[in-house]
Amino acid sequence: MNAAVRVEAMKLVRSPVGTIGTLALVLGTLALLGGITAALAAGNRELTAKAGVAATLDWAGLLASAAQVTAAGGLLGFGVVLAWIVGREFTDGTITGLFALPVSRSRIALAKLTVYAAWAVAVSVTLALGILLLGLLIGYGPPLPEVWAALGRQAVLGMLTAAVAAPVAWIATLTRSLLAAVGAAIALVVIAQVGVLAGAGGWMPLAAPALWVISDGAAVTPLQLALTLALAAAFAALTCASWARLQLNR
Amino acid sequence: MLAFDDVSLRFRGGAGVERLAFRVDPGEVVALIGLNGAGKTTLMRLALGMLRPREGTVRLFGGPLTTMPPASWARVGALIEVPLAYPELTVRENLRIASLLRGADPRTVVQGSLEAWRLEPLAERRFRRLSLGNRQRTGLAAALQHDPAFIVLDEPSNALDPASVILLRDQLTRRARDGAAVLVSSHHLDEVARIADRVLLMNAGRLIGELDTSGTDVERAFFERIRDDDEHRAERGEVPL
Repeated sequence: MNAAVRVEAMKLVRSPVGTIGTLALVLGTLALLGGITAALAAGNRELTAKAGVAATLDWAGLLASAAQVTAAGGLLGFGVVLAWIVGREFTDGTITGLFALPVSRSRIALAKLTVYAAWAVAVSVTLALGILLLGLLIGYGPPLPEVWAALGRQAVLGMLTAAVAAPVAWIATLTRSLLAAVGAAIALVVIAQVGVLAGAGGWMPLAAPALWVISDGAAVTPLQLALTLALAAAFAALTCASWARLQLNR
Repeated sequence: MLAFDDVSLRFRGGAGVERLAFRVDPGEVVALIGLNGAGKTTLMRLALGMLRPREGTVRLFGGPLTTMPPASWARVGALIEVPLAYPELTVRENLRIASLLRGADPRTVVQGSLEAWRLEPLAERRFRRLSLGNRQRTGLAAALQHDPAFIVLDEPSNALDPASVILLRDQLTRRARDGAAVLVSSHHLDEVARIADRVLLMNAGRLIGELDTSGTDVERAFFERIRDDDEHRAERGEVPL
């Protein structure tokens, strides 16, 4: 197991996908937030109307924007990287080399998910720190306790958003296709957005983390957030089981 | 070491293998030859647990594959179709991960493997920048560096230059002499005749016997056996697999 985790970590760290995914999620989000802030400061009415709660030029506005960008763009970014981590073995044909090893395939799948989770935690914490730095640079002043709490929720939102992408790993295994898995990541974003618009609220596991952050923790119960984690755990288990039973029959 | 007891597998669409029965013993090199689509890769995939038979039993190290503890796979080295190597990693890093995944210590095997396969000048080059032949050599090094007792190689001499073919031949004969059981498939009949102790003939999903490689025209003998088998099947009214 330890060997498989080391191998998977090395593959992610050395790959262009890992690097670009990390940069897009951290610097891309920060650039977007900087752009939104600049447009609001310049008095862009259309954007002000669209931004809603995020339209204010203060910590609350910045963090509300960050939550919206993370919930949609972040889900796509995490989903694409997870699609690659799992789907590449099928697309590159290296899956044949992952048979006939003393490390079982379910352990290899678990190692992939473990490395993905560790990477997602690192990205989420880095992004939250980046948002803190951005707010200080813009001149919103030292954060009050409720801002620290919101920054903490932003970091947790990143991690939960990465967890929401878990079905992508299973789809990549079932379809044995990287592209199908990327398609699944896009579908998850759409489903989550439609869920929010349809008012599914906290009981919709794909949308619950974002609603939780945007409402400052008021609109979603811990049980509903736990459901998101349970969904991720269920798809992680399904992925490991599918890898264990895998045959190269197509 | 490896034994197939009447192993059959039929894919959707009709292709597959039928009642395969053979064994590979320690210390021998067994070659598998047949035309494209004869079922050689399917047979090898069955031997490595990549496919599960519909009927029959595959035995490895004396017991059925289905009940073999995962740790036993550390004694197997295989290269089927695509090397276990990743484009973003260097040759040395790929050999490192191959040894880690097979439970071997990279510090003791990788350097020797680079030297044995003359990969040292390429050690720090990324796999994606290698020529096809050098990729194959890296794949062979990754499959064999942990000193496996059972070796399965599908078309190992693919894309290799003549010097590398000699390296491969030396590796396989030396390992068999040291007690390893080796199963290779190949299109190169003269190469097979040189290294194999036995040559199994495969046609249309079945093993149709052994080929005598001591004669002068092995190629002709091969095609005659295949043609005879096709004619016999046609006489019996069998639909080819």
